[in-house]
Amino acid sequence: MPSSTSSSEPGGPGVSPTPVRDADPVIHRPIPDVRWPATAIVAVVLFAVALTGWEAFWRSEQYVPSYGNHDGQWAEARRRLDRPEPGATAFIGSSRTLFDIDLDVWEELTGVHGVQLALEGSNPLPILTDIAEDEDFRGLLVVGVTPPLTLMPGIGARAEALERYHKETPSQWAGQKLSYPLERSFAFYNFDTRLFTVLDRQAWWPEREGAPYQEPEVRKIENMRRDRQADMWNKVEDDPAYNTIVTSTWQAILEHLPPPPPEDVARAAFEELLANIARDVEAIRARGGEVVFIRPPSSDWFREFERQATPRERVWEPIIGAADAVGVHFEDYPELSDVKTPEWSHISSRDKERWTRSLVGILKQRMAERGINRPEMGT
Amino acid sequence: MLFNSLTFVVFFAIVLALHNAPLPWKAKKVNLLIASYVFYAAWNPPFVLLLWLSTMVDWWVARRIYETDRQSRRRALLGVSLAVNLGMLGYFKYGGFLLENWAALMSTIGVTWTAPGWDIVLPVGISFYTFQTLAYSLDVYLRRAKPADSLLDFALFVTFFPQLVAGPIVRPTQLIPQFQAPVRASRNQLLWGLGLMTLGLFEKVVIADGALAPAVDAVFGADKAVPFTDAWLGTLAFSGQIFSDFAGYSTAAIGIALCLGFSLPDNFRFPYAAIGFSDFWRRWHISLSTWLRDYLYIPLGGNRKGWQRTQVNLMVTMLLGGLWHGAAWTFVIWGGLHGFYLGVERFLQGRYGGAAIAKSFGFKLGLGLLTYFLVNLTWVFFRAQDFGTAWSLTGAMLGFGAEGAELVLGSHLAIRVVAVTIGILVVHWFMRNRRLEEVVAKTPWWLTGLAWAGMLFAIVITQGSGNAFIYFQF
Repeated sequence: MPSSTSSSEPGGPGVSPTPVRDADPVIHRPIPDVRWPATAIVAVVLFAVALTGWEAFWRSEQYVPSYGNHDGQWAEARRRLDRPEPGATAFIGSSRTLFDIDLDVWEELTGVHGVQLALEGSNPLPILTDIAEDEDFRGLLVVGVTPPLTLMPGIGARAEALERYHKETPSQWAGQKLSYPLERSFAFYNFDTRLFTVLDRQAWWPEREGAPYQEPEVRKIENMRRDRQADMWNKVEDDPAYNTIVTSTWQAILEHLPPPPPEDVARAAFEELLANIARDVEAIRARGGEVVFIRPPSSDWFREFERQATPRERVWEPIIGAADAVGVHFEDYPELSDVKTPEWSHISSRDKERWTRSLVGILKQRMAERGINRPEMGT
Repeated sequence: MLFNSLTFVVFFAIVLALHNAPLPWKAKKVNLLIASYVFYAAWNPPFVLLLWLSTMVDWWVARRIYETDRQSRRRALLGVSLAVNLGMLGYFKYGGFLLENWAALMSTIGVTWTAPGWDIVLPVGISFYTFQTLAYSLDVYLRRAKPADSLLDFALFVTFFPQLVAGPIVRPTQLIPQFQAPVRASRNQLLWGLGLMTLGLFEKVVIADGALAPAVDAVFGADKAVPFTDAWLGTLAFSGQIFSDFAGYSTAAIGIALCLGFSLPDNFRFPYAAIGFSDFWRRWHISLSTWLRDYLYIPLGGNRKGWQRTQVNLMVTMLLGGLWHGAAWTFVIWGGLHGFYLGVERFLQGRYGGAAIAKSFGFKLGLGLLTYFLVNLTWVFFRAQDFGTAWSLTGAMLGFGAEGAELVLGSHLAIRVVAVTIGILVVHWFMRNRRLEEVVAKTPWWLTGLAWAGMLFAIVITQGSGNAFIYFQF
């Protein structure tokens, strides 16, 4: 076929003239002439050796295979609420709600295996709003309150989890399913052992004068199950040096929080927050659901910081008042306070069973006092 | 479906197994076509309808164009193809942009009009496959090629999953003939293809996402002015990130196709060793630059209508090339800067190109570094979310930054950016006049195996978080 372009411009716009060109022909890519089978065998064997060594190293550091707490895992859990009948119990909150509640004990005492939707470093109130807007949810919602996080604008560290639930693509859904077998098989498959995460936390980096404050990365502190039950990693409890890393991280984060907004702005934001809570709780109740609030324990420096920055009477009490809901604060119950929090913020894996038993008992009692009978609590 | 995802690993293993199964060639092509639709639907199933629409329109239009000699009818038929393809692109990609700018224009003449919300999801890869199908109709219209004999072959050309969503933008005459006769990768093709996939994913997962993205995000996302050093570090990091991300995708796409026995053209040839901007555009996103050359610049008249018209044609081509990347004025500026550079280069080349000094090594090296410097300035507009950020960073890079601006990068990120940037430049200059295949052929096989294992290991332990390739948004 003749060319009608009379092109004299090959190589891209503005390139100097060369002869007329026809339609682009088929390309045959050259293959380097090397011993490919031997090359591939060397590559596979060395890769396998290196990966085995990497896995062995992390296991020697007490890392064990654990589910990754990815957004896809959260979205999968969230979808368990997509059923238009009562009977579901869901937990939202931050890491304390995630770590402190024992789902098996909860099920044993209530007959319901709860849906764990708490997200570390996150504010649960946008999740509360999302569930309130979900016409399907008519069950019991347990909201964990961690005052500094509950006052944050937006969800915070794990905002993408909610987006994933609403916009998950088929490819992402399949990817999460395929990831599970790897997560339960490899200790190195973990956010804390990613190559650049490991490199960045090394002490060898020189000081850069004038460099900004670098907030320390939160290290691994839990092992997670498929149902998102998270148990404190025994290294946090048993290794004093690692425990110090974790507590110093909390301290550094809290000491470098952005300055609070002006008093009038903060007051207006808090009023809006209370109004939103009241609206969301009412929406869930109007469909036949119920909402309760819990305040899990903290201790030591962390607790003192919370007392100073977010005193109970200025945060917790107004929230419970606005929601007009059952609220269980650990300070009001010795059995909820008498637990070990090895890194000041989460209950020891050895105490969570006892704590959950106490919590369920107290919640049943408090709900009964208000005349609330819920199938999700076995009442 | 992302190449850097577990879903793709399983998907590709199934596709490869079916392609090597003892099935008739037509069945294998049907398998590839279905696989390609699955690959695309894995993002958003309804958007497969757009692929079908584009496929059917251009299949029909090209055949009708070929059958008639009446120029008016040929032109009208081509208009149908242009209207459908560019209409789709315009609606999904530029609708909101046009409305916003219309509202702004109205406000300048005192008319208050609020643009309606345009919350439309951009179908991934739409810019790539619309250009690819347009090339088909245009080639037939320009009498450069015959229409495909088989709808199956044509549909596979439009949809072929390795290059569907981010190129290379393959010409019909490069790919459709490859579907006509049975092909299966030889053992060496398969292994080299797997090697290219590994290299591409290494560039994407380890270099672009792991090593450079944090510095880019910190600098371009800073909420206050940044100083000279960090503005440069952030821009150099993006320079490396955009190359590693996009060239990584292209390399993986070429490798995937090769594993199936098909050859795709190069899309990058070590562009940061370019000496001048014509050279740069022979090395950067080659399939787009040649598309723009053949279907826009040359039809506009190319360089055949005098110096001034050539400059105008260059600028129009590059401005539209910029706009192709995204519906924002920052992309237009990016294209405009490249058009300006090309125009100046053409002027200088015409006047001083024959000088003896222009052929010396030192001059070429200096020109190469100048090209790299100027390319980096353009990347600021490409990456910045708005003009405020772009001007602020450009000012800082040229020494006009705000007094007392604070650093935003810690030493670990700063050192990493410098090390990776030097590494990229060394590789590009070493490879400037070489092909990867030649270098691998001259390297001891055990060293190639060692490098391959190293890249695989780095990919796995980086544990990429499954970030999409940057060019998917275009």
